[in-house]
Amino acid sequence: MSFRTKLLVAIMLVVSAVTALGLYLAQRNVAANVERDLQQNFQTEVSALYKVQELRRAALEERCRELVAKPRIHAALEDNALDLLYPSAKDELRDLMEGEEPAPQQAARSLHARFYRFLDSTGAVLAPPNARDVGQLSSQAEAQLALKKLPETPQIGYISERADTAGEGADEVMAVPIFSTETGEVISALVVGFKPLELISRRIGAGIKSGIWANGRLHLPSLPQSAQTALAAEIADAVARSDRAQNSLVVAVNGAPHLLFYRRSNPNSLFPPAYEICVYPLADSIARQHRLRWQVGSAGALLLLGGFLASQFVAARFSVPVEKLAVDSEKNRAQRKRAEAALASTSQELERSTRYSADASHQLKSPVTMLRAGIETLLAREDFKPEVYDELSSLLHQTYRLTGVIDDLLLLSRMDAGHLRIGARPVNLSELIDEWLDDLGALPDSLEVKIEKQFPADLHIAGEKQYTSLIVQNLLENARQYNRPGGRIQVAASKANDQVVLNIGNTGPPIAASAQEHLFKRFQRGPTGTAVSGHGLGLNLARELARLHGGDLRLVRSNDDWTEFEVWFRVARPAPKTAG
Amino acid sequence: MRWRWLISFKAICTLLPTSVLAEAAVEGQVELPKSHSAPVMAKRYEIVTSGGVLATQPPLAVVFLDGRFAKPSSPPTKQIAQKDLAFVPPLLPVQVGTRVEFPNLDDIYHNIFSYSPAKRFDLGRYRPDERPIPSEVFDKPGLVTLRCDIHEHMRGLILVLDSPYYVMTDAEGRFRLRGLPSGHYALKAWVNSKTTRERPVDLKDGATLHVDFP
Repeated sequence: MSFRTKLLVAIMLVVSAVTALGLYLAQRNVAANVERDLQQNFQTEVSALYKVQELRRAALEERCRELVAKPRIHAALEDNALDLLYPSAKDELRDLMEGEEPAPQQAARSLHARFYRFLDSTGAVLAPPNARDVGQLSSQAEAQLALKKLPETPQIGYISERADTAGEGADEVMAVPIFSTETGEVISALVVGFKPLELISRRIGAGIKSGIWANGRLHLPSLPQSAQTALAAEIADAVARSDRAQNSLVVAVNGAPHLLFYRRSNPNSLFPPAYEICVYPLADSIARQHRLRWQVGSAGALLLLGGFLASQFVAARFSVPVEKLAVDSEKNRAQRKRAEAALASTSQELERSTRYSADASHQLKSPVTMLRAGIETLLAREDFKPEVYDELSSLLHQTYRLTGVIDDLLLLSRMDAGHLRIGARPVNLSELIDEWLDDLGALPDSLEVKIEKQFPADLHIAGEKQYTSLIVQNLLENARQYNRPGGRIQVAASKANDQVVLNIGNTGPPIAASAQEHLFKRFQRGPTGTAVSGHGLGLNLARELARLHGGDLRLVRSNDDWTEFEVWFRVARPAPKTAG
Repeated sequence: MRWRWLISFKAICTLLPTSVLAEAAVEGQVELPKSHSAPVMAKRYEIVTSGGVLATQPPLAVVFLDGRFAKPSSPPTKQIAQKDLAFVPPLLPVQVGTRVEFPNLDDIYHNIFSYSPAKRFDLGRYRPDERPIPSEVFDKPGLVTLRCDIHEHMRGLILVLDSPYYVMTDAEGRFRLRGLPSGHYALKAWVNSKTTRERPVDLKDGATLHVDFP
């Protein structure tokens, strides 16, 4: 799978996950919002209804209080003239009953009464002489107006025209007490009946239906009879179960879910408890929720599609440099592999060659040793001519020289193989030079060479004494070997910054200019020919060792009877103070 | 309080022929309920209701001789005016058959009516310039409560009596009835709508009886 495909899949996965999460949250939000909206709408409508109703009741109550304060009605009640009560009321309450019944839309603003009756001091209905004047009522309905006792405050109740059938429109009644102007006691009550307020919902259209539940019957004219009967039972159940004044439940009306809200309409009334019922069809809201779900779903799909397209684009764009990078790194890898392979073969070759030289050195050493032992055995005999002993001594000397060459070769091969590690221990260079100068002086030599020393005592350098010693030995031996009789050797050392510079000069014939550039190569020898002992490895070895010490070796000059070498070393770091 | 003297004077005048022949008299005092209101001088009389009892405030009583007496051939005419949204006088005792006029002395409409069993009437609304002055004849004994349909607080009382022998006490409850026929009667003191005290009296010509209603 290419990087591009991988990237695309990854981005698509992320996009899908984000979209799915978004959709889930949106769905939840939608559901919650719809429900909240519904509840809010419903509550708003219902509370609007209650506001209007309260206002209407208050207005009606005020009107009734005003009417029952009329002197004629009081006169009829107080002056023992009940026969004049209804005739007087006919005039006094005329505007309550007058006029056409208002259209349902105006009901809220109308105080038009359908009927009125007076209660006597026991709470029984005072029969009107002429029912036409006070609004017709069936005897069943009229009986529902009676109260157990006269109320001190206005009472709200609901009666139905026919007690045995549901669905008939109920009448809201208000019983307003009439207080005697003489005794201050309640002597009667005026009961006024009017059409209950029906909520005409404008905002939710034909949404909310309102009605009254009283005496186990539901009066909700906009619902069919059977539905009303079924609902009435459910409400009766709910009311019986809960002692709350208001509550809501979800009911099925003709199989469709509805939200039903009920609220005690006449708390603390002497009339039987009645509940206002509001029914709100949930179908609309469910449909709306479905619609919203679809909308959210399709929006999500579009989003997903957009996301996929975008991810395609992004993947394409981002993968270009990465793919280039991949190609590049592939190239790099190949190159590196090649380089590594080359390096490996080189080091193998190197190792082989060094091992070869090491092996060669070892192979050489043993026959030399055997040779020397043989010569020494011959020298131990006493039956040879004296010139034979000279020859044997010379041969013996040659074996020592051969051993020196082999040692140098061994050391060089070790250096070449990278096996030689130079430590960084303090080495007392001054002491080392002194020792070698002593050795030099002890050599049986025909040359009378004068040695000049110009170095302080205790000059320490960082290195390993064994190899530092080799460098000093090489240089000093050269200075003696290539000297002239009666010449001199000058050894000077000093510290400069973090380096120690050692200069070793000697008198004698200079090195030819042409030879100078090859001076430090292996098996190169001075121009003096074979007359001087040496094997042409010394300077090369000294320089290699000086470099391993972190320093260097160079020829300063070689002319006018003076040849001078210079070697640097690193100054030893101050030796850690010993305890004490 | 001029009207009171006027009434007494009229009463005396009507009784004059008999009183010349036989003149029995009763005097005494009716114990009136304690008045809780301001002193009489500054206060006008009105009808108040307390616990369903109608009475004048400050209290006054009507003392009358109960019994069957001949109705006067020409019924006297009396007046209860409506002045400053009140009936003046607030309490008027009359003999059965008396015509009472109700002149309106305010500058506004009044509507006098009564639903009392003793007399039901409704004069309708009228202004001060209404002529003839609206009037009613009270031909049945009993207490008549006057109301105004426009001013619900207005109350007046007419005490319709069979007897021509009646008098209103003064503010202390003192009374004097003269020119009474001799004989055995019941002397009654109407104190309020629920209370009428009664004393049997034996009246003798020329004698003045002292009767107190404690």
